[in-house]
Amino acid sequence: MTVSGEAPLLELRGLTKRFGDLVALDSIDLAIRPGEVHCLLGENGAGKSTLCNLVFGVHSPDAGEMILAGSPHRPAGPADALRRGVAMVHQHFSLVGGMTVVDNLMLGRESGWLRRGEYAARVSAIASEFGLKVPPAARVDDLSVGERQRVEIVKCLMRQPRLLVLDEPTAVLLPEEIDALLAVCRRVVASGCAVVLVTHKLAEIKRVADRVTVLRGGRVVAVSDTPSRDIDVLVRAMIQRDLDRLEGAVLGVETAASSAEDVRGHAQVPAAAAPARAQSARLEGVRVVDPAGAVRLEDFTLAIGSGEIVGLAGVEGNGQTELGDVIAGLTTPAAGRYIVAGKDVTGSSPRELTAAGVGVVPQDRHAVGCIAGMSVAHNLFLNRLGRFARSGLMREDALLDEAHVLMRRFDVRAAGPHARFSTLSGGNQQKAVLARELSIDNLVFLLAAQPTRGLDVGAVESVYKLIRAACDSGVGVLLISSELDELIAVADRIVVLYRGRVMGERPAAPAQRTAIGAMMAGHA
Amino acid sequence: MPDGVPSNAGGGAARSAGGAARGARWRRWLASPTVISTAAAIAFAVAAGLALIALTGAQVGEAVAAFIDGAFGSAYAVAASINRATSLALVGIGFVLADRANLTNVGGEGQIAVGGMAATAAALYGGVAGLPLGLSFILPLTAAVLAGGLWGGIAGVLKLKAGTNEVISTLLLDFIAIWLVYWSVQSEALLRQPMTHSSTLPESLEIPDPTKLPIITGDPGVPLHIGLILAAVLAVLIAVVLSKSLFGLWLRAVGLNPTAARRAGISYGGVVGAALAIAGAFGGLAGGIMLLGEQYVLKSGFSSGYGFDGLVVGLLARGSVGGVIAGALFFGFLRSGGINMEMVAAVPSAVVLVIQGLIVVTLAGAAYWTRSRSAA
Amino acid sequence: MTWELFAVFIGSSVRLAVPLLLSSTGELVSERAGVLNMSLEGMMLTAAFAAAVGAWATGNPLLGLAIGIASALPVALLQAWLSNTLRANQIVTGIGINILVLGATTLAYREVFGARSREQIPGLDKWAPPGLRDVPIFGPAVFEQVWLLYAGLLVIVAVAIVLRYTSIGIALSACGADPRVVDKAGLSVVRIRYGAVLFTGFMAGIAGSFLSIGDIHTFTEGMTSGAGYLAIAAVIFGNWKLGPTLGACLLFGAATALQFQLPAMGVNVPNALLIMLPYVLALVAVGGLVGRQTAPAALTLPFIRAG
Repeated sequence: MTVSGEAPLLELRGLTKRFGDLVALDSIDLAIRPGEVHCLLGENGAGKSTLCNLVFGVHSPDAGEMILAGSPHRPAGPADALRRGVAMVHQHFSLVGGMTVVDNLMLGRESGWLRRGEYAARVSAIASEFGLKVPPAARVDDLSVGERQRVEIVKCLMRQPRLLVLDEPTAVLLPEEIDALLAVCRRVVASGCAVVLVTHKLAEIKRVADRVTVLRGGRVVAVSDTPSRDIDVLVRAMIQRDLDRLEGAVLGVETAASSAEDVRGHAQVPAAAAPARAQSARLEGVRVVDPAGAVRLEDFTLAIGSGEIVGLAGVEGNGQTELGDVIAGLTTPAAGRYIVAGKDVTGSSPRELTAAGVGVVPQDRHAVGCIAGMSVAHNLFLNRLGRFARSGLMREDALLDEAHVLMRRFDVRAAGPHARFSTLSGGNQQKAVLARELSIDNLVFLLAAQPTRGLDVGAVESVYKLIRAACDSGVGVLLISSELDELIAVADRIVVLYRGRVMGERPAAPAQRTAIGAMMAGHA
Repeated sequence: MPDGVPSNAGGGAARSAGGAARGARWRRWLASPTVISTAAAIAFAVAAGLALIALTGAQVGEAVAAFIDGAFGSAYAVAASINRATSLALVGIGFVLADRANLTNVGGEGQIAVGGMAATAAALYGGVAGLPLGLSFILPLTAAVLAGGLWGGIAGVLKLKAGTNEVISTLLLDFIAIWLVYWSVQSEALLRQPMTHSSTLPESLEIPDPTKLPIITGDPGVPLHIGLILAAVLAVLIAVVLSKSLFGLWLRAVGLNPTAARRAGISYGGVVGAALAIAGAFGGLAGGIMLLGEQYVLKSGFSSGYGFDGLVVGLLARGSVGGVIAGALFFGFLRSGGINMEMVAAVPSAVVLVIQGLIVVTLAGAAYWTRSRSAA
Repeated sequence: MTWELFAVFIGSSVRLAVPLLLSSTGELVSERAGVLNMSLEGMMLTAAFAAAVGAWATGNPLLGLAIGIASALPVALLQAWLSNTLRANQIVTGIGINILVLGATTLAYREVFGARSREQIPGLDKWAPPGLRDVPIFGPAVFEQVWLLYAGLLVIVAVAIVLRYTSIGIALSACGADPRVVDKAGLSVVRIRYGAVLFTGFMAGIAGSFLSIGDIHTFTEGMTSGAGYLAIAAVIFGNWKLGPTLGACLLFGAATALQFQLPAMGVNVPNALLIMLPYVLALVAVGGLVGRQTAPAALTLPFIRAG
């Protein structure tokens, strides 16, 4: 419902979208006014991207309708949406690296003879009109991420859209670039085009939003016309998970021990007293630079005590992947040390790290944590297949037997240890990967990255039970997750990662939720 | 049957059920898309070949008779066909092993060439002719294996150091090797026989008798040499390696998901390098066998397409050693039949090439339908 | 070495490079669009045969040329269909087509010409640009070439212009680099790739025809003898850029010309080494020893629209 008398530019009524069993959007009602910056706020999986994809024609809704400037909006695809005046800048850019900016912009738009000079002039004109600096003759590969994003925005603006959707644009930008982007948003709306800014960062909302809609679990849970004033309400609305969803896992965790205190009692030792307890792993001053020269981790220092669960909170893209690669032995840090159980293992190979007692559950388990085409048994022992070889030949029966044992211990459900790994459900696949890592000989340190992503409540509960059991036997655990509530429920203390640096540390207690959330968004 | 022994529950019933199950498995295999499409492709290609023969005006019946005669007609023909199949099988086995790690070795032709060269050099000038215990031919064969392994290893090194696509590198190495052979038989300083006459052919001397591969049948009229035994043993060995060994698992892991394999501590470089070197070694061995077992004299172009034929056999085998054996026998007999067809019925053996090409193209194209059937 | 000899050397280098220049240009277009045509050899051989038979049967070399070019197109179409629609393995199908074509042309050749393996066929004439012909010493030797070369050069220049200055040119390059972007821009990746492969067939047709009715006025079985693979090597050597690729072709042509040149100068290098030289050079380039190789990212990968 609009507050002012203006007719909305885009209206969504009862919009619903399902992917199989998952309800991504549940009867959404939303209105975007012309000339406003409208922020869509919500955590990962809240439905923000799905909503944008529906408006942009990538998918079609299962129920409900969209009305653009008074007429029904049912785009047949992105090209159709563009023609109707809806433009979108995705998180993954659609640019050909080896071509220049001008060529990229002309691709599919100009036909026949290319007049680059003229086109470049047009590009520069539009860019400066909106305060964007775009070097027309530069190769896209040579541009920074921020510059590439600007090219994408110019690509949209050249279509003179009525509605411009930006999907998490600041996730990949440096602070100065964010300032510039927000200024661009204001210029764009000044020209009459509305902007939908999808984000989960509060700083941006405070600075540029005219209105905010908060999504959670596919539903609209809050709307505000005065975002700066309502910030706290919005934050709470965004990060509070539907308790029914997490009830099982959280309560399960708490009742497994006699009380919440007991679970974390032994870990309530303040950081200053840490030396008294053995350290399972330590990272000192780790610095990681990516091939393009950008610094992904800077002066990262963290110690994980034996039997402790340290939660690493943070929005994806702030250095978690690079940290995981260092811990797994796939990347050697440009600076800093990596110590496991007192031994310096900086630069060691994955095999050496496994021997040193390091287990890693990677965040992209489908792609790199397992080999989908091989059997469950092979995956369960992928990092120590040699154990079952006698004079080069595999003792398959011994492998299957031990796999059976492991599957029972970790409750991995499958047709059998010989079954193909891809036939397992997501939850069981994750349990299998955990089983493999947790059964490493002399395990001292476990990294679990996004371990419950895509899992149902029952699987979430199992995963955390297993992790805590490992802790109880002295393993130090670093848990990386963007699900703050899970970290609070399971970890002993929470460290926040922001832009490759440690932003701060807090005890993992529900009362700390807002402070941690703020740190995740970049507020100290 | 005793209760409480879960794994043997209903043992007797299981055994006879197993027999019926095995029969059902055979039937299912016969009806699988792979087998049907292969059979269809072969049938189509053969039909096309026969049509071409008819078009050339030759008597189809006569041509087919000559073909069959050349392939199976006499003990000699069968022996020659099997010898050919042996070389093809070796190249195919090497291909399949590398393919398990998702590496495509197109270098069979070149690996045969360097293998044959090395074998000839060792046989003629290695001083091995007088050695006992079969070393007189074992050592030249070993030289052939090493030469082929080295040749394949070059592609491996390039892949690991520079990310070079092994298809291109092994292909280029083919040509280089072929011309190396040419060079070696053109130059008396290398392997050319002494030029006693202006018309002395550019080829090597004939290798001494002790270095020739022994003939199994003992009858020179049926020249089936021990290459067959060697290939059979190696086929079994590689089949075991691929299906039951640790190295075989590593190959599979690297082929399916190199990133996950690396994370799990498997040495990507070691596996890739070994796979390409072994594939090369098999090619080298094939070359050595061809020289020491049949040709006895090194000539330019002696590999005459065996490398590519072996590659085709490997491709069509879809990763199974059994498939390689079947394919190698098929193409081996095809080649022999074709040669005789040309000699007797004056039908150019090029028809065989047409048939081979059609089989390859048809099967590769048919993967479009068979691929979607066998999901994930 | 005298100037005359040097002129002859340059002229031979160019002459021997002609089939490579033409076919590698065609293959470059395909590979820039993301398709690898191992069957380049087969396309050239088909054209060589058809042009020879056509010229012989009609007595007119121009008709022979037309027939030669036209015959390469169905082969290219087959490769395009296998690569883009059926999404088959491009290396397997390419090699398969080469085997097929070798067999078919050998068979057909024996049928048409019987045992006469050196039948003289009406061939194309030589020509030289008017002014250049009169350049002292170099004029005749270097510039008097089969006119097809000059026609081919015009086509190559046109290709260079199209690639750089037209919309289809950048769309083509984008198809090889990131076909999803092209698809998102509303263009048809499959159609562009079909066109690219057909163009390769066209150029291979000219190159193959040159071999039989341009250069030696006869056909011999398997006469392409690896030229197609060498053209692919040239594209790789040239790092998928037209200028360096053409340079590589001239280099390969020169390496081949050395086979005749060095003996004439009294230098005795084994022929085999000189024949081998182009492949060794290509291997060196592929091994990254002459700078980083940047192949089109989507090369040999069939395009499947995701989701």
